[in-house]
Amino acid sequence: MSEAPTLRSRRPLTLRFDIPISKTHEFWDSLRAGRFVTTKCSKCGNVSFPPQSDCSRCMGSEFHWVDLGQDATLVTYTQVLTVPASFSAEGSYTVAIAEFRGGVKALAWLEGVTAEDATPGMKLRVEARTRSDGSPYYVFVPV
Amino acid sequence: MTRVAVVGVGHSRFGRRADVNIGELAFESIKQAIDDAGVERRDIGNVVVGSAGGWYEESLPAVVVGEYAGLSGAGTMRVEAACASGSAAIKAAYNSILSGETEVAMAVGVEKMTEVDSPTSVELIGRAGSYTWEFENYGMTFPAYYALYAVAHMNQFGTTQEDLARVSVKAHRYGASNPLAHFQKEITLEKAMGSQMVAWPLKLYDACPLSDGSATVVLASEEAAKKLTDTPVWIRGVGYSSDTANLSRRGNYVGLRAAVEAAARAYSMAKVSPEDVDVATAHDCFTIAELMAYEDLGFCKKGEGAKMIREGETELGGRIPVNLDGGLKAKGHPIGATGVSMAVEITKQLRGEAGRRQAQIKKGLGLTHNIGGTGHYAYVTVYSRD
Repeated sequence: MSEAPTLRSRRPLTLRFDIPISKTHEFWDSLRAGRFVTTKCSKCGNVSFPPQSDCSRCMGSEFHWVDLGQDATLVTYTQVLTVPASFSAEGSYTVAIAEFRGGVKALAWLEGVTAEDATPGMKLRVEARTRSDGSPYYVFVPV
Repeated sequence: MTRVAVVGVGHSRFGRRADVNIGELAFESIKQAIDDAGVERRDIGNVVVGSAGGWYEESLPAVVVGEYAGLSGAGTMRVEAACASGSAAIKAAYNSILSGETEVAMAVGVEKMTEVDSPTSVELIGRAGSYTWEFENYGMTFPAYYALYAVAHMNQFGTTQEDLARVSVKAHRYGASNPLAHFQKEITLEKAMGSQMVAWPLKLYDACPLSDGSATVVLASEEAAKKLTDTPVWIRGVGYSSDTANLSRRGNYVGLRAAVEAAARAYSMAKVSPEDVDVATAHDCFTIAELMAYEDLGFCKKGEGAKMIREGETELGGRIPVNLDGGLKAKGHPIGATGVSMAVEITKQLRGEAGRRQAQIKKGLGLTHNIGGTGHYAYVTVYSRD
């Protein structure tokens, strides 16, 4: 089948979002200092990850920050081989969901082990990383 | 309370449709559905358009489609429930009849995913979930989200990559008999197993394609349906639920909580049980999703999805045939069109119009299982001849 004629749009659209973090910036500030923290509701004690200033369990809006520590256990994982357009410079990467003590889970890249060699229950450590533009992120690595 | 029936169905060819724009593509199924129902356009009080959007040029598909098909003036809106937008559109149209607002309503599902390049489509679907926490730094993709479920399911229940490939082989077998399917060729287990890895352990043949397509149903109140058709297909149960945006907040990765809850609500409303279902469509955006659907719908016990595909229980002639239209895998998955396409397939099956793909209808019951995102939204709908 020959390709049908199309009109190629000449008005490209680039979207960059300024995502508000005024209520949760302490997470990123702590990460820069090497600590992995999140929010705990001061009313009902619910620990949330991702951190949030309002409690999705009791709807209270008073919270404090708690340290989740570094140790986590691997729950599930994959290796991404077909990557999104904006990650084309990254090549392939492994992603995992891991669980911290107390049951809170997070999703992040898993470095230092391939998906095929990983096993559920594996002991991991969360580590802070910094991109070349200075923005912080976190990864899991095997202990 | 009135009952609501499907009285007309329409379905475009699915696939890469560079030959039509969004209005023209929707028109194909709208025209068929109007002719099939035998309604006048002026009698359609509400036109609900299911479309996720973002990959085609129009921002307001409901009015663009309405204008092109001469439906301007009817009540209209676009609804979004990711890959379940089509079922959400049906539910909204159904509600407008139940509430007495209108006697006849229409649900149109339409998507054009191939006007942008594939990496951009992958990007847009990958952002569907929690952008800030799961995409911004980690570049998740739709196959990757489901791969997290596949790995957990394989580890907990011994499901294998070969079991997943069997789902793909089944999809392509029935897709080959569906002239509207994106892929109409049978494949071998070896071909599926040998295909390129997309998100380990999911391969190209574990994944549905990026497709363009549209599907339309016309719904009517009991009174209107009886005037319009001798073969109404009644909506007997509608169940829906949702789950967290962040996958990290889910309790487990071996099934979709939202699907289990949606199914329970649909069965309860319809007063039927899984054993009563003659034929079903399951949301097989990835092969693992179909196996989890068997379990979440109660077609088998938790962890026994792979056993069902190995033993052929969901094949034509099996205990509960699933996806005799080729499923999302072979028929294609134009996001917003899929839920309506499922309703079209089940309507045809219950009317006995499915040709070579016709299931044996004993109790007159069909079911659609339509999931949005990675179990973010779930819609289960029970259809009945009586």
